[in-house]
Amino acid sequence: MDKHLLESAVRKGMEQGASFCEARFFEERGSNILVENGAAKTLGSGILSGMGIRVIVDKRWGFASTNAITPTDVERTLSDAIGGARSIAAEGVEEAEVVDQKPATDSIAHKVKTNPEELDPEYKVRVLLESDEAARTYSDRVKDTFTTYRDAVTTAVVHNSFGTYVEEVTPRTYVYCRVISKEGSNMQTGIEYGGGVGGFEIVSHLQDEQFSRKAAEKAVKLLSARSPPSGTYTVVVDQRVGGLFMHEAFGHNCEADHVLGGQSIVADKMGDKVASDIVTIMDDPTMPKNGHFIYDHEGVRAEPHVIVKDGTLVGFLHSLESAAKLKARPGGSARARSHQFPPIIRMSNTYLAPRDMTFEEILEGVKLGVYLTGMNSGYVETQKGQFTCRVEQGWMIEGGELKDHLRDVGINGLTLDALKSITAVGKDFKMEAPGTCGKMGQGIPTDAGAPHFRIDGIVVGGR
Amino acid sequence: MTDRERGTDLTAPVERAARLLSRGGLDFFDVYASYSRSMRITIMGKGIKDTGSSTDVGLGVRAYKNKGLGTAYSQSLNPMDVEETTNRAIAYARAAQPDPFFREIPGPSKAPDVGGLFDEKVAGLDMGKVGKFAKEMIGAVGDVRPGAMHDGGVSAGCTRSYFVASTGVSVKDERTILSASIAATYKQGQDTGSSFEFEYGVSLPEVDFAKVGKRAAEKAVEQFGSRKVESATLPLVIVPEPASSVFFGLMAAISGEQVVKGRTFASSLLGNQIGPEWLGIHDDGTLPGAVGSATYDGEGVPTRRMSIVDHGSLKTFLHNSYSAGIAGVETNGHAQRGGYGVYVGAGPTNVTVRPGDSSLDEMIAETKRGILVTGADFAPSMVTGEFSSTIDEGFLIENGEKKHAVKNLMAGGHILDLYRSMDMISREGRTFGKGHFFPSVRLSAVRLSGD
Repeated sequence: MDKHLLESAVRKGMEQGASFCEARFFEERGSNILVENGAAKTLGSGILSGMGIRVIVDKRWGFASTNAITPTDVERTLSDAIGGARSIAAEGVEEAEVVDQKPATDSIAHKVKTNPEELDPEYKVRVLLESDEAARTYSDRVKDTFTTYRDAVTTAVVHNSFGTYVEEVTPRTYVYCRVISKEGSNMQTGIEYGGGVGGFEIVSHLQDEQFSRKAAEKAVKLLSARSPPSGTYTVVVDQRVGGLFMHEAFGHNCEADHVLGGQSIVADKMGDKVASDIVTIMDDPTMPKNGHFIYDHEGVRAEPHVIVKDGTLVGFLHSLESAAKLKARPGGSARARSHQFPPIIRMSNTYLAPRDMTFEEILEGVKLGVYLTGMNSGYVETQKGQFTCRVEQGWMIEGGELKDHLRDVGINGLTLDALKSITAVGKDFKMEAPGTCGKMGQGIPTDAGAPHFRIDGIVVGGR
Repeated sequence: MTDRERGTDLTAPVERAARLLSRGGLDFFDVYASYSRSMRITIMGKGIKDTGSSTDVGLGVRAYKNKGLGTAYSQSLNPMDVEETTNRAIAYARAAQPDPFFREIPGPSKAPDVGGLFDEKVAGLDMGKVGKFAKEMIGAVGDVRPGAMHDGGVSAGCTRSYFVASTGVSVKDERTILSASIAATYKQGQDTGSSFEFEYGVSLPEVDFAKVGKRAAEKAVEQFGSRKVESATLPLVIVPEPASSVFFGLMAAISGEQVVKGRTFASSLLGNQIGPEWLGIHDDGTLPGAVGSATYDGEGVPTRRMSIVDHGSLKTFLHNSYSAGIAGVETNGHAQRGGYGVYVGAGPTNVTVRPGDSSLDEMIAETKRGILVTGADFAPSMVTGEFSSTIDEGFLIENGEKKHAVKNLMAGGHILDLYRSMDMISREGRTFGKGHFFPSVRLSAVRLSGD
């Protein structure tokens, strides 16, 4: 990346009347492999690169991006950003502002043990075929196996009118195994996956754990599972469902742009009790998981964020703008999918902090409930505080013991009711839910975790 | 799109890539490049939050050697990057293993131009005008009831693309898109009323910004006083927006590779009765000016009008050339190309459901106790067909009358049970993007999980 182009864009932006200007270079170089039923069906690669420029002009935000990084294109992009801000000056726009920052200068390159870019594609294929083989040979009820691999190295360079100039190069590697099982007309799916900041060693580690075989086992065992009951139950969730719950049900409500925009149910609850005393919720971009980074895309150094401490709401996640408007420290929570989007407030690695109970102790005392494992998908209506999570599988809990195996389970709840109804939190913390969180059209890498925990009064959807 | 932007050359890089690929000893290849220009206004809180504009250009390549597929794409069209992209695709094609299901990619065809997919007025919009649309939408929310907080935006864009294949296909396309969406949220003590509305189209007259704002606000106000209801098996009356997810759920399950490889709940349904005798669903990619239309699909095959469900019976799957080859039929023009990112799948174009003879009011009046669903996504698991969905917005129906809003309520079951339980369909409905049309439907019995 030509540093001069970024510096020139920011300098010219300020000369043309901006009170704040930020130029951000982004590049992502990635490769992918799809193995289907024992054959490497597709190998591919892609390169995204370009520059995004953001300005405050006349107290209005303007943003523009380009894939072409020539001086002419960058000047035109700056002109688009400034023109955009000026064009809405008369439209009753809320005033833009950012909190002052000390300039940061840094260059970060995350280390990998095995750099995927240096590996022969045919070697990667051989490794993935071994994984696929383990899933395919698990049972004669395995119908189809898919092993998907992806690696990407992203480079983000942020320069702004505070004088900040930070560069961060982040490799991420993922592998995902999906198995379809079949018995008669009954088909089920099992998935296992892993990934995060790192290189091909992530794949090797997951292979050691026989992740593809676990996916096959799940798919085959689900053939004899039944549909869940419908109604309101005490629910015990595993680390992945628990992480999804913390991310969807509560985390999005604590993104300060939702707070400022009137889209959060906890906007006026800072310092209030929002959860039971055993609940402490964190968002920590410094953990070396999928949501890890050192600098956010506004050039702010990332810090761990305590959101809920012993049941009390103590913090929101901030950008430079929300920090200015809510008189807070930014803390590094603004990220962008690529140069084509402006940075917005995002979670990173979100989790419920562990306490001291064992899984067996959590199950004890549940006369009739549902145990849920494995995340599938989720969403939240932050303004209403209503969340939905779809999970991979479940079991009935009867008299404190796991009974019938359940499939196609979804849960729904009202966030604040649910958080206050958490009655037990375990000590077996894990964060192993690397995924992509979508917000305002931007998918961004995140992770989520929890120990096992128990919630009363959750709606379980079934037939 | 200005004249200068229209002049951004796609022809030279695409043809350069094709020349390089033709020397690579490949069996088949195709090259797709696009240039897009878009602008958007973000609405958040009390009004407009920011503006954004984007120029997006890229080129993607699919290369086949011995039935193995290599792909590559880049956001740069300069000659060296085009060469690197083609070289990567060729190398990957040689490293990929044979896919026994692959036959060939389609050859050239001729079809009449669908027309109406490019609106000069949308292409010529500037940010100031888009900002006025956003303000109009926000104003309409306030006219219904002041004090709302908002979340949404307006965007406008145009895309020009060029696609060639080693089989002789050569397709140029130019289109515009305009969209508006807004969520309005009101507070009344501890109570919240919130809802969402949207519209999109190819041309300016397709989007009535004031109407979008007005409907969002009216629907939001109706959500005050929502209450939990007890678990039960009840009829659902589903308005067109959530009903679309029931129909799109089926469309996804009858599309492309997955259905012909026996991996969706619909794989064995061809020729089977799946719904009531009066149920008819068409797919039509030839509707002039509709968002889902195109003269040619993502592989250069002419789009067409097809009966998908007739008299309640499933008549066809939606194919690209790959799935058609597996099924042993001709592709029917449903290849979908996700831009220069090179993935080519299959799916519907414009889905229209044949209207019935009831009205929404009659459906409600004929329901003793049930739920009027105004917001929900019934998308099922593609493999099992099971769904477990929250009723995001809905109302209790008692003795044929719409009562209070509901909350904390889920519906669960199998999507084919939803089709089997359809017992009424409305004559009026909603058209989306000048192409999709969905009426309201009533389902006789659906399992609901609540209090």
